[in-house]
Amino acid sequence: MSSARYSDLVWHQFKKYTLAYRSLQMLVALLLLAVFAPLLASDKPLLWRVSNGPWESPWFWSLFDRNVYEGTLDIVFNVMLVLGVPSFFLFFVGAVREPPVRTLRVLLVLFGILLLFTLFHHPSHAKISYPDLEKIMIAEGQEVTSVYPLLPFGFQSVDLSNVRSPISWAHPLGTDNAGRDVCTRMIYGTRISMTVGLFSVALYMVIGTILGALAGYYGGRVDALILRLIEVMLSIPSLFLILAMAAFVEKRSIFHVMLIIAAVLWTTPARLVRGEFMRLRSMEFVVAAVASGFGKRHIMFREMLPNALGPVLVTATFGVASSILIESTVSFLGLGDITVPSWGQILNTGRSTGMWTLILAPGIAIFITVSLLNLVGEGLRDAMDPKLRQ
Amino acid sequence: MWAYIARRLLTMPPTLFFISLIIFGVLNLAPGRPGESAQISGAGESKRSSAQRESFRIFKEQFHLDKPIILNTRMFLTADDVEKKLVDAHGWGDVHDIKRRIRARNMLEDAGEYLVGPLIALLDHPDPRLVSASIEQLIEASQRQIKPDGDRLLNQTAQRGNEERKSWRCTATIPAPAVIHTKDVIPAKAGIQSCTSAVAQWKTWFLDNANHYTWSALEKTRRVFFDTRFSYYWRNLLHLDFGKSTVDRSDVFDVVLSKLKYSISLSLISMLLAYLIAVPLGIYSAVRQGSVGEHLSTLALFVLYSLPTFFTGTVLLRLLSEGDPLAWFPTGGFESQDPHRLTTLASMRDVMWHLVLPVATYTSVTLAALSRYARSGIIDVIRSDYVRTARAKGLGEWTVIIKHAGRNGMIPLLTLLGGLLPVLLSGSVVIEVVFNIPGMGLYLYEAINNRDYNAVMAVLVAASFLTLVGVLISDISYAIADPRISLE
Repeated sequence: MSSARYSDLVWHQFKKYTLAYRSLQMLVALLLLAVFAPLLASDKPLLWRVSNGPWESPWFWSLFDRNVYEGTLDIVFNVMLVLGVPSFFLFFVGAVREPPVRTLRVLLVLFGILLLFTLFHHPSHAKISYPDLEKIMIAEGQEVTSVYPLLPFGFQSVDLSNVRSPISWAHPLGTDNAGRDVCTRMIYGTRISMTVGLFSVALYMVIGTILGALAGYYGGRVDALILRLIEVMLSIPSLFLILAMAAFVEKRSIFHVMLIIAAVLWTTPARLVRGEFMRLRSMEFVVAAVASGFGKRHIMFREMLPNALGPVLVTATFGVASSILIESTVSFLGLGDITVPSWGQILNTGRSTGMWTLILAPGIAIFITVSLLNLVGEGLRDAMDPKLRQ
Repeated sequence: MWAYIARRLLTMPPTLFFISLIIFGVLNLAPGRPGESAQISGAGESKRSSAQRESFRIFKEQFHLDKPIILNTRMFLTADDVEKKLVDAHGWGDVHDIKRRIRARNMLEDAGEYLVGPLIALLDHPDPRLVSASIEQLIEASQRQIKPDGDRLLNQTAQRGNEERKSWRCTATIPAPAVIHTKDVIPAKAGIQSCTSAVAQWKTWFLDNANHYTWSALEKTRRVFFDTRFSYYWRNLLHLDFGKSTVDRSDVFDVVLSKLKYSISLSLISMLLAYLIAVPLGIYSAVRQGSVGEHLSTLALFVLYSLPTFFTGTVLLRLLSEGDPLAWFPTGGFESQDPHRLTTLASMRDVMWHLVLPVATYTSVTLAALSRYARSGIIDVIRSDYVRTARAKGLGEWTVIIKHAGRNGMIPLLTLLGGLLPVLLSGSVVIEVVFNIPGMGLYLYEAINNRDYNAVMAVLVAASFLTLVGVLISDISYAIADPRISLE
């Protein structure tokens, strides 16, 4: 045990906290839900045949379709889905137990190629609503065979003949005031929350870590400057600033929201890393590294940073939770990206229409996601605490 | 102690300066022209009538939105630059790019007096259309501002001058433009162009007024730095003038002050309530570790901690006030429609009645965080030697917990006091929007939606100021409560 890597040690300890470990599993499940969303809900049929024509799969091609998914976000998830299904079989069915580095690299390259492909791919049947098309064709006497995902709805497909319908088998969570299937929107909303959480946190962790490292390592004027900046940022109520920034961006996309969150929240990791670096600076291994003549960058990011990363990881986990909360708050106030089915957006519709499904479904979804993240964060914090380790 | 407070107070102005710098930067560097949507909602750029354009120009002038943000380089514009902009603005160039056209037009509109010099030089241009366009631009650029609080006589003169110059135009219309290059010359057909008299009028006018439109080197340097949006903003800020709302022209600072009473009373009541609940709860769960009650309260607090404010608020509102299923509480607002009819007591009851749901939501946000700290604070203290001594000398359990452990264990809560304020203020947007309380949060929200950026800026600066004060108060109370902490 003594020779084990620190990460193994923490992981081993983490697994002992059943609640936190189960929460992590649930979060992975949620991420998979986000990736596999089109398999559950899409208005493009998986298989489609008109009378005796060839079998087609509009669903598959729509995965790469910028016209169906207006944000880049969905395309990324879809590429993950296309790559994920085969790798899912590879990794979990048992062909490969531990993914070797080379397989991962190949997957990464494939991921890039597929993303590039979507840039040049322009399917012609972009906005066709297949369920409607099918009805028309059947009325014309044509024979149509089609296989749909579980929920044959798009997250934007409006159906004004079916507004505010109650919970039923066809619509597990009913429809909203524009006849859009709530369950479908909720599923796609997972994508938004997951991306906002992960991406903005990754971004501000990088900014905060670098600034904190600089401040902690150099001290003196650099430290004073960065500390001043942090202090100033902390004095402005964060949500006020985020809302103000969001309001003055024209044509907000979800990426703008992420950038804004990152631009405001970087102070937490910066303060933390600064403190850690100040503590580490006088430690023997750092002094030894300086004496061996390593460059400053090497010392900061190769020697010191790994030792400061533990607490950063814990705040990152809590940070994902708070980013998700902030994004939904911003969307709830109508200042987010109005084209995406974000949970906050759905709740906003719920507030203005007073429909219970539209209030409870996104609210509970946000609550569950945030709780899971908080539980994982707490577990991680305890797992890293040497006092609690057996 | 006093020295410390004085020092902290002295560092506040520079911090506030940086805060306003950041806020100013954020609001001004963001794309989207503030005030535009407020002034001309719906009308497309091209469809704007000249009257609308004129009123928008005056509006921009009033709020200094026509000035460059940080550095002003407009006095270095040459006739060539202006010629290019004119060609762009009228779409006479090769490229018919609507965005470029709009940009050029806005630039010409904003540059104002700085254009007069180059435009006069352009009057000798061989292309008659350009001459005519320059004259039209000159009429706009040479407008003197009528100051409402200025000298009446001067205003009248300026007004008369403005009116007079409007008649110095080319007398005939210009043939429909073919696509031409900048330097191409269209031969002036006889009878169609007669700009000569107008050109002469403008030139004589410029000879008389040249001193208004040429600047010495010193003046130029001054204007580079001080004829800018930032400079005007700061000059106003120094005498607490946050400017006027671009929506209803009310004084932003006054409005924010009047809104503060709602927000502050709301957050103070909630904070008090949260402390009143959190402290006993924290003590209870620290003392009774492992009991059913402790587990239940931990669970409840965990749930509260992860519940988003807007969700709690919406559910409470929907559940208890909209008449479906229950209608116990009013649907929003701070008080009833006409509070003047009520007696003082009744109006207090009325306000309380309105505040139940928002305060409940607000408290739930604060409570979870607070009682966690209360619990861990007590746990830290309860195992210490002096508590054991207190028990050993035979004091009752109640006295030990409350008097000995409690006092020390609650110190962390004091530091939270300052940190809570920004959280509460942030929460106020959501709660005030949901419950329609006319406080600072709702004002910010409405200002944001109207792109009323003086108001946004004022709210942000005021909120930051409050936060600074809150942090200071909590630091001081921390020092008073814990003599081990030295502030020197």
